[in-house]
Amino acid sequence: MRVLGTSLHELAQKSRPAGLNPSLWGAEDATVTQSNDHIRVVKQAIVDGDSESASLCTEAAIAAGLDPQVILDQALMAGTTIVGEQFEKGVFFLPELMLTGKALKAAMTVLAPALKAKVAHNQPGATVGGTIVIATVQTDIHDIGKNIVAAMLAATGFQVHDMGVDVPTKAIVARAQEVNADIIACSALLTTSMPVMRDLIGILNDNGLRERFKVMIGGAPITEDFVKEIGADGTARNAIAAARLATHLVTAHRNARAMG
Amino acid sequence: MPMDYCEILDRAYQGRTISEPDWDLEHVAMATARLVRKYRLAWNPQEIVTDDPALADAVFEAGFELARQIGCYFRSTERVVMFDERELLQGLARMPQTLVLGEGTDARTLYARRIMDDRPPLVWAGNPGAPHPEALFQASVISWAKEPIVDLITCGSLSHVDGREIRTGGPLEILATRRELTYLRDALNQVGRPGMGMLAAQSSVSELGDLAVANPDYLRRCDAHLVPMSNELKMDHRNVARAVNSIDYGMRNAALVCVIVGGLGGDAPGSAVVNVASHVLAPLVTLAHYQLLHPIHIKHVATTTRSTMWVESIVQQAFSRNAPAIFVTDIYPKSGALTRELLYETAANAIAITVTGGHLEGCGSADGLLHNATGLEARFMGEVGHATVRAGVDLKDANAIILDLLGKYEHVFDLPDGNPGVHFDEAYDMATIEPVPEWQAMYEEVKRELSTKWLGSL
Repeated sequence: MRVLGTSLHELAQKSRPAGLNPSLWGAEDATVTQSNDHIRVVKQAIVDGDSESASLCTEAAIAAGLDPQVILDQALMAGTTIVGEQFEKGVFFLPELMLTGKALKAAMTVLAPALKAKVAHNQPGATVGGTIVIATVQTDIHDIGKNIVAAMLAATGFQVHDMGVDVPTKAIVARAQEVNADIIACSALLTTSMPVMRDLIGILNDNGLRERFKVMIGGAPITEDFVKEIGADGTARNAIAAARLATHLVTAHRNARAMG
Repeated sequence: MPMDYCEILDRAYQGRTISEPDWDLEHVAMATARLVRKYRLAWNPQEIVTDDPALADAVFEAGFELARQIGCYFRSTERVVMFDERELLQGLARMPQTLVLGEGTDARTLYARRIMDDRPPLVWAGNPGAPHPEALFQASVISWAKEPIVDLITCGSLSHVDGREIRTGGPLEILATRRELTYLRDALNQVGRPGMGMLAAQSSVSELGDLAVANPDYLRRCDAHLVPMSNELKMDHRNVARAVNSIDYGMRNAALVCVIVGGLGGDAPGSAVVNVASHVLAPLVTLAHYQLLHPIHIKHVATTTRSTMWVESIVQQAFSRNAPAIFVTDIYPKSGALTRELLYETAANAIAITVTGGHLEGCGSADGLLHNATGLEARFMGEVGHATVRAGVDLKDANAIILDLLGKYEHVFDLPDGNPGVHFDEAYDMATIEPVPEWQAMYEEVKRELSTKWLGSL
């Protein structure tokens, strides 16, 4: 894709801080195998936020016969971990997160059929991240916090359906049902938009859907007390904590589903 | 002739369509990254206040180029509003160089400050947007308004009225905003400064409350209200409606720009470029009378981090040198009332703003999320600003003082729960609306320290 005369890839490469090299993720063995090469280049594409390379290199890794679960864990997820750590350290910023989210999506488009095939052949351990519907609630048009969290979730391996801002509560619930989401994540910056989050929980309860979705809420004025008051499942102070919370909630949710 | 809002709206209805995610990443983020490289913009965390006119000029040029190149996104129609260079320059040229706020003997004249201006900054007290319990609202305002050094007043917001929850855009938003103005006007009368200029309607998070108080009984023509731009470089019907109404009414528009430092612009230099672009567009899309600068740190929120203070200082220098306008700049410390760190944060931020050409607004203590702000730190903010001018602090000296002060408060950014301090009614005696002895003593100690070490007669 070319934007304003420059490709995303070129910009991603040029905008990376100097010093981001393979040493970030450890020294390589003296004898570098072909498999390791494939893993390394896919991981590099994720760290670089290079969608085109991420897609092509993932395709090449599959064609070379690498286990799709290994590609997912050791290349895609390992790459996102590096990006998350760099964001937390203040080395990477929102654009890098967004580019990595796009690259991950491109790679997953290629990898998902191979993962599904593995599941179909009853091979244990094939997993993909959970599905999250995220929105800034109706009456609130602030999106930057929601965008940062969405980018971090996407860069952490979740399938993220971002509905934007000022989204009607019923539309959020409908989309969550449509995509069979694990989590509904709602954002509000305005104190006076927080009541809409209570409405959402009410709609889930009224329609017998509360057990079907975990509900994360976030935004500057949201407190743990408010989470408890409205019966949501959790909140997080920043995007990194939100990704951790989402991972925890998805795991718990899937375990509960498996048990039930 | 300045461009009128009908022309802006025509462009918002006819401009090129684009999705919002594309705007964010492929226009704002990509164009900014390219301009940062083109102009070789960089910052040094040891130089919060830079003495580098070439850098300030480059930041201005890059920001102007960004505004010209990508324009502004109109969310209501998902279209791009473009302006040519001549229009942007005309917009900047029409920004007032002086602006009277308030009336009678309480009126004050804001002016476009210069770098190291020998005139003191005006002191605008309050914690705009911070939610307040109704029972404490008026007392908070009194705590600010009674301070002699305070020139202008603003306030927090009401999220409940008579125990009822306010919903954005709901009918009670009108009640909340009118109640806010009633409390403000009563407070100003109580302290004997009825004509003091206000920035208010903070309880109006949609346009509804804002429109409902454009009335001489509430917000007068000599007062101001917010016309925000959304992150980044975005406008919509609701915010233009605020501007349209106040222009016809005759009130002052404050162009509120809250660029996220570490957001779509990337690190501090890119964030400064986005900030400049926003303020270049603001005269046209917000019909601004003055600029309200409030960068937000992506992780720490506060304006008192190194990168946010760098953005404030370089953006003010950029405009002071290239397109002078009135800049009122927010101080939102991480720490809250009854903490020493709040005073150190306030001092560092006030010095950075004062020497680089801004007026002072604050303090939005405890990130402006709680009612943990008091009149005492607003007094201190003003005293530090005035002392900085009196002592003739230059850019290099200012940077040295700020680095020392950072050493006294920077640890608060690593605290898991911040450093919120206490609520207003725990830091102030509610009968006298004066600081409790412990808070007063803390203030005097820190003031003495600053006076002895850096600022002389504080």
